[in-house]
Amino acid sequence: MTQDTYIATEEILSPGEIESTVAELAEKILSSCGETPIAFVGIYTRGVTLAKRVVRVLGEKGHHFPLGTLDISLYRDDFDNAGTDFPKLESTDIPFGLEGTRVILFDEVIFTGRTIRAALDGLMDYGRPSKVELAVLVDRGHREIPIQPDYVGLKVETKMNQYVKVRFDEDDNQEGVFLVTES
Amino acid sequence: MSKMKPRKDLLDIESLSLEEIEHVLSNAGPFKELFQRSVKKVPTLRGKTVLSLFYEASTRTSSSFEVAANRLSADVTNFSVSTSSITKGESLLDTIETLQAMRSDYIVIRHQSAGVPALLAKHTRASVLNAGDGFHAHPTQALLDAFTFREKFPDLKGKKIVIVGDILHSRVARSTSTIFQKLGVEVAVLGPSSLVPEGRPEFMQRLSSWEDVFDWKPDAVYLLRVQLERQNGQFFPGIAEYHRMYGLNSERLKVMRERGTYLMHPGPVNRGVEVTDEAMGYEKSLIGTQVENGIAVRMSVLHWLKPKTGME
Amino acid sequence: MKLFKNGSLAIGNSADLESADVLVDDDGLIRATGRELEADESTEIIDCGGCILVPGMFDLHVHSRDPGGEHKETLDTCAAAALHGGVTGMVLMPDTDPPIDSGNQVKNIHERAEGIGSLDILQSGCLTKGRSGEKLAGYSGMVTQGSPLLTDSGRDVPCPDLLRRAMEYAHDFDILVACFCDTPALTRGGVINEGRASYRLGLPGAPAISQEIAIDRNLRVAQNTGARIHIQLPSTAVGARSLRRAKEDGAAVSSEVALHHLLFNEEMVTDYDSRFKFDPPLRLPEDCAALWDALLDDTIDLITSDHSPHTPFEKSTDFGSAPSGSSSLETTVLVFHDRFIKTGKCGWNFLIRKYSDNPRTLIGKEKLSWEEGRRAEFFVFDPESETRLSTDYFKTKSPVSLFQDETVSGAIRETVIGVQSFS
Repeated sequence: MTQDTYIATEEILSPGEIESTVAELAEKILSSCGETPIAFVGIYTRGVTLAKRVVRVLGEKGHHFPLGTLDISLYRDDFDNAGTDFPKLESTDIPFGLEGTRVILFDEVIFTGRTIRAALDGLMDYGRPSKVELAVLVDRGHREIPIQPDYVGLKVETKMNQYVKVRFDEDDNQEGVFLVTES
Repeated sequence: MSKMKPRKDLLDIESLSLEEIEHVLSNAGPFKELFQRSVKKVPTLRGKTVLSLFYEASTRTSSSFEVAANRLSADVTNFSVSTSSITKGESLLDTIETLQAMRSDYIVIRHQSAGVPALLAKHTRASVLNAGDGFHAHPTQALLDAFTFREKFPDLKGKKIVIVGDILHSRVARSTSTIFQKLGVEVAVLGPSSLVPEGRPEFMQRLSSWEDVFDWKPDAVYLLRVQLERQNGQFFPGIAEYHRMYGLNSERLKVMRERGTYLMHPGPVNRGVEVTDEAMGYEKSLIGTQVENGIAVRMSVLHWLKPKTGME
Repeated sequence: MKLFKNGSLAIGNSADLESADVLVDDDGLIRATGRELEADESTEIIDCGGCILVPGMFDLHVHSRDPGGEHKETLDTCAAAALHGGVTGMVLMPDTDPPIDSGNQVKNIHERAEGIGSLDILQSGCLTKGRSGEKLAGYSGMVTQGSPLLTDSGRDVPCPDLLRRAMEYAHDFDILVACFCDTPALTRGGVINEGRASYRLGLPGAPAISQEIAIDRNLRVAQNTGARIHIQLPSTAVGARSLRRAKEDGAAVSSEVALHHLLFNEEMVTDYDSRFKFDPPLRLPEDCAALWDALLDDTIDLITSDHSPHTPFEKSTDFGSAPSGSSSLETTVLVFHDRFIKTGKCGWNFLIRKYSDNPRTLIGKEKLSWEEGRRAEFFVFDPESETRLSTDYFKTKSPVSLFQDETVSGAIRETVIGVQSFS
């Protein structure tokens, strides 16, 4: 980020609001439960945290779900092998069979949908789930491919020069969701 | 955010920063996990091409690179040295010109002459991966050795490894000792004076016998392959004597077993020369793991290097 | 007539420069030297204010590559390079293709050289037929045709018996035997000094003892046979010590040092830069220092360029496969001045002694002097100027140099031989 870029940051979810939004997400997912076994898969980094929080909320209510993690770096369609980014890979850990399982993917924000496409590709290489759904904390719109979330914490209208910054204590030592405007 | 600079080529270990080594080793872990899946391939380097150029025959290393490239979805072409005009006296620079015209993104090269990969790197936009040049360097071997050792000893500081055999003619000894030294592992060598050169760096302390080795208490013993062409009596009298003096026999293996010392070897192994059949079944042998890790580490290297082929 | 005005004259036996004009007549002979010489109207006046007039150098070790290697260098380009570098005489090595090992070949080169100009070009001959180290070459023909020395240049005579016979036979002609000292069984495929550098770069090393024991052997055989021996390109402190001992014993021995062995060592070989590949290879910093000391105390008699042209293409391959040596006829005086004279390590007289007088007297030629009646043979050096050694500076056909693109102090304005001048 260059010095002369003007940046405005507006909090759109406070720590308390994140907590209640996560609880609502958990509730929606719970109410959708049927016969098929359900497993959660979080997308690195904050999707994993989001999934963990939902698992915790549901666990407190006595509902236990297996949780996996997915690093999608190797599936991104924008990996620049000639550029300057050096993605640090994380362990993809899916400690349950995907066959016949209903998988709920977690990510903190959905924007173009490309991350989710990569995540779907990655997930399918581990097995064949009976159904895949998507849960996000924030949907900021501007989809570039036909992928829609099934569970949304908060829908925000955004412009292209804005982005949504999710901060979790576990990952960032800071808690809050912010709308950042660059001009 | 990483401050690492993009690196085009992997030519040796000497020039790598600790951060770069760390990056390659830490990413190799997730790559290795992919091998547990039924689908072992990822689409990361789809559409990229890897040219494999082996002036010295080596099925093991070339296959390892090929599998690594395939698992990243890159297309691999073998530039067959024996059937090309290279063997007909075409100059190296003319060959390089030809390779450049093929517009590969990555070139894996092994050459009997030290410095050839560096020369190629200077003349091509592709990333050059040195798969062994003369006695100079074999950096992916060193990286996979370090990765393998670190799987057993996550904290490398103060750990000890002894390299046994022909240091003089070994690019593996050079690269592997260098990476271990950089990672804080103590390195010693054992071998006859005729094969342990005076010009080696100071950190490679010399031990004079297996007794010395056991007194020194290494965490791993790294046996080098005795090259067949060195067995003609120029550097040591013969295989039997070498085996007696420096080979891993049952007696020495027994001590290692008692102490839980790991065994490493870059392969392929000469049974009856540097090891006995018995040693091949040793439960703390990492030789098979080294091969498996080789693929993961080479994937990590391909994933890390930044060719300049996109800039034309 | 030509009057070189307001310069200073350098001479071999005094460190002082003498301010003097030099008048050269129409036969190319020195008519007069002295202050404020008068000139008539027809005299061309060359202002040498601030410049030094230095006797022309004589290089005892030059590879002309002609015949057989004309893509690298020819007699013409070699001569042009010499004159460009202040060198007015040289001995060509016989390691051409085919090697010069007969009187007819020597005659042929000398005839061709005559056509080139007034430059003193002498063709040496092989010690053994075809430089093969198997049987003696025909010395009588080569000596008759004016070969100043015999050498297998770049190769030793491995068989001690043949070496002994060669020296005995050469002794009959009282011709100088120049030995490139090497023990092939020890050097093997070595392409760099054996030691830290060879380990670091993973290149096969050539051990110093390979040359050192060959120097000892060759000196002993020479002493035993009475032959006059000249040791080519000693590269280590131990080699210099052997030479010193032989001289103390009163042996008829002389030797030379190449400028690169004084200036560079194995530690400087980085990045597989094949310009640093020499035969014998660059050794250790302490060897450079010992060679300089040996040059100072006259253990080593003279300096050579070891001009070894190879085309840029040939040199641009990998270090192990690249040929040894590079072009240096045009850089030796300039670089020597830049590194040693300008820095006060020695004066012009030292360079004249080592690179003009000693090589000439060694092969029975008269040293140059400023005396009246002598042929004019000098170069005009401007110490205040500087020279950029870019590719277009070079007149050799193979502009590959360790000093490429360096800027050195001083410039050779022109080289004068008789009535001709070259710049």
